[in-house]
Amino acid sequence: MSARNHDVTVYSLRYGLPLAAFFVLFFITPLLLLVLVSLHDDTAVSVWGVAQYVKIFGEGLALRVLGDTLWLGVQVTVLCLALGYALAWAYVRSSPTTQKVLMMIIVMPLLTSVVVRTFAWVVILGRQGIVNELLLGWAWIDKPLRLLYSREGLIWALANVQLPLMTLPLITTLQRLESNLEDASAALGANAWRTFRRITVPLSLPGIIAGSLLTFSATITAFITQSLVGGGQMLFMPMYIYQQASALQNWPYAAAISLVFLVAVIGCVTLLSYLGRLSKGYATT
Amino acid sequence: MSMGRRNDLSDIALKGTLYLVAWAALILLLAPTLIVLIVSFTDSYSLRFPPQGFSTRWYVALLKAFTLHFAAWNSFLVASMTTLLCVVMGTAASLAIARSTSKTARCLDALFMSPLILPGLAFGLSALIFFSELGVPVSMTTLVIGHTVVCVPYVIRTTSSALMQLPPALLESAASLGASRAHALRRITLPLIAPGIAAGAFIAFMSSFDNTAVSLFLRDARTDMLPIRMWQDLESKLDVTIAALSSVLVIVTLVMMVVMEKLTGISRRIRG
Amino acid sequence: MDISRRRIMQSALALGALQLFPQLTMAQARNLVFATFTGSWEEAHKAVLVPAALEHMKDGNIILDPMISVDQISKVMASREHPPIDVMLHDPGPALTAIEQGLIEPYPVADSAYYQQLMPEAQDPMGPSIFYQIVGLTYNPDTIQTPPDSWMDLWKPEYKGRVGITNMNSSLGTGFMVELAKLHGGSDSNIEPAFELLTKLKPNLAAVAANPGQLASLFQQGQIDISPGNFNAIQILKARGVPVEWVAPKEGAIAFKTSIHIVKNSPNRDLAFALIEASMSPQVQSQLMEAPYLVVPTNMQVKMSGEIAESLAKDQAEMKSRFRFQDWKVINPNRAAWIERFNKDIQV
Repeated sequence: MSARNHDVTVYSLRYGLPLAAFFVLFFITPLLLLVLVSLHDDTAVSVWGVAQYVKIFGEGLALRVLGDTLWLGVQVTVLCLALGYALAWAYVRSSPTTQKVLMMIIVMPLLTSVVVRTFAWVVILGRQGIVNELLLGWAWIDKPLRLLYSREGLIWALANVQLPLMTLPLITTLQRLESNLEDASAALGANAWRTFRRITVPLSLPGIIAGSLLTFSATITAFITQSLVGGGQMLFMPMYIYQQASALQNWPYAAAISLVFLVAVIGCVTLLSYLGRLSKGYATT
Repeated sequence: MSMGRRNDLSDIALKGTLYLVAWAALILLLAPTLIVLIVSFTDSYSLRFPPQGFSTRWYVALLKAFTLHFAAWNSFLVASMTTLLCVVMGTAASLAIARSTSKTARCLDALFMSPLILPGLAFGLSALIFFSELGVPVSMTTLVIGHTVVCVPYVIRTTSSALMQLPPALLESAASLGASRAHALRRITLPLIAPGIAAGAFIAFMSSFDNTAVSLFLRDARTDMLPIRMWQDLESKLDVTIAALSSVLVIVTLVMMVVMEKLTGISRRIRG
Repeated sequence: MDISRRRIMQSALALGALQLFPQLTMAQARNLVFATFTGSWEEAHKAVLVPAALEHMKDGNIILDPMISVDQISKVMASREHPPIDVMLHDPGPALTAIEQGLIEPYPVADSAYYQQLMPEAQDPMGPSIFYQIVGLTYNPDTIQTPPDSWMDLWKPEYKGRVGITNMNSSLGTGFMVELAKLHGGSDSNIEPAFELLTKLKPNLAAVAANPGQLASLFQQGQIDISPGNFNAIQILKARGVPVEWVAPKEGAIAFKTSIHIVKNSPNRDLAFALIEASMSPQVQSQLMEAPYLVVPTNMQVKMSGEIAESLAKDQAEMKSRFRFQDWKVINPNRAAWIERFNKDIQV
């Protein structure tokens, strides 16, 4: 039997050619075109120049909208982390049957349309919605609160929509944690809180980072929820891009802010991934 | 030294808090869907919860909502074509890069997965500008192309994961018994990773059907997409028919998910 | 099946399916896309105009794609050779823009049965006007006991967190801002006073709607209690049991005529002609004048009656004297800048 030099489980890179060609043509080229279009001064796309970027960095509105959007992402991610961590923690301590049911409940929203999920929040947060009806019924308030079209309402709606994205990586990580470590910690005299703080959370850091990355990316691009629950008085990047491109037909400006948005997202993702790699090292020592 | 737990109070406090928050999270996940299901049976035009009266009138209205049917049919067609393209090209790409350690393979992997992280809106806008500059009008074809780019990562992810779990021993023994690579591919690899491909195809289909970021830019009235139609209807009027439609979509998704779970253990594969 | 044969089968399937699409698109070529306005206009047209038009069409379907005027212009300008819309509905300002930009096909007046029946003001060979929009104040009589009588009532402190407005993308929003400016020392070309007033209005604002349709739905949800609004928008809400009333402010209600146009390069000109003919016909116009649509007609053969005659004007002549009109030729050049400024100022 002649020795084979190559691994039989590896296939020729040529199999990847169709998709690579597809991506070059329909993914990379449009993005390059986006860069080119953004380097024009007028809406008719005929005069070259950097006026769009001057406008973005000089005028300040675009940067403010970007900052607002990123901050929204942070707020939602933190809330999601609190909720998702507890849910994942409860999951790993449940019986297999409960786990099956829980998994269905967690995964299903990912397969349901975001319009459907957001629509529910319009019902929940409205002046005549459940939250207000309950609070009025219990006489905690005497006038309905403005929850819809408010930042708090938007944060809760987004946290709900993105919760599965945060919970799933956390479940994976927590499941890999050796329960021996927690028992050992307890046997050595640490109370539950200390064990949680010093052992469980740090060792689950890779999951926290992974979940945060997914939640953050999804939140800041959540166009539908931001628009239906946020309303017209809170402008975030996705709607800003859509308004400029579609209603105002200002393609160079829309392209420029899209690219600034893209770079910001890549920056945040890179930062989180870097933290993820650091934490992996930390978690396994 | 005492073995076993000390400080039961802090133990209970911690566990109690965590379970409480977990329950809150669970309710947060379930409540919206249940609310939509219940509200869809209201007999009035308002979205008050709980509804003051019950009727199936909105489901009847749904049967007559031809614009919604049209959009749903378009979404279905586009999702089907997208899934087909994704499975064909994505599986081939997975075979090439899943177990390879070469630099090119890693680069390609990053490239193919990048649509998952990048804002879909930016890509949608770039695709619109691209087709417009080429003089290609918006159509089902451009929609399918746009959707394929953003949905193929799901197929690659589940297929690569299935490939990675394939025991190399199987292929090595097939090779040592004289099977050609094509034969091994057809008879061993593909059947074994078929559940992974199927799971990826399912996720890609749902992702395309529910896609908003790309459809927003690449669709017009003649190629209306259901999520966009629903969003625009919700924005300009409070149509309870949308609640009925949402319920139908939720039930259908639930049924499909149970089926896929039995066939491919999909919840495991979504976790990646 | 051999892997290579399976591959070929799959590719053939894909190619075959893609072949279906040209047929599908061709089959869809006989779908007339009519971009009507959101909300009550969509309801009125879906119920009355579309069935009437379909009766006169030999074949084809009508698809309603509700959007405000400026969005219609954007969509058509983005794709002039293959316009996504066949028939456009425009407020006065965008109508001028559309004509200037060469997006419109002149209407075949000579072939029309009803064109000559329209009011002289409504006759325009580039696109006849088929109704008037009347803008006043809309309010919830259950929560606001004394009916408002002036635009400035919106600023009253007791309406804190209860006022709704639309942004300036719609003519409702722009008309409102221009009217405010004119009442406070501004003009059709200078609305600076309105922006100042807008800042003072912010504490009272409960929501800024994306379009008039959404504004109406905010009443339905109880999110707002008072807003500027179209006369006919509330009738549909009333029919649904939502408590709303319309009142003309003492400064005078604003009126603008709305015109309907065939888009240049549309492949469905004959269908578009049938639709527009139906929209001008006395039958459709009088039906639309009845409750709950209450659309103000422009066909002189339609005698104003019912609620329109009581609340608005007894005939077209009285309408011209009672309502305030704006000069859109002057407003148009500034509109894009005003829209951007409004969107910036309105942020919390």
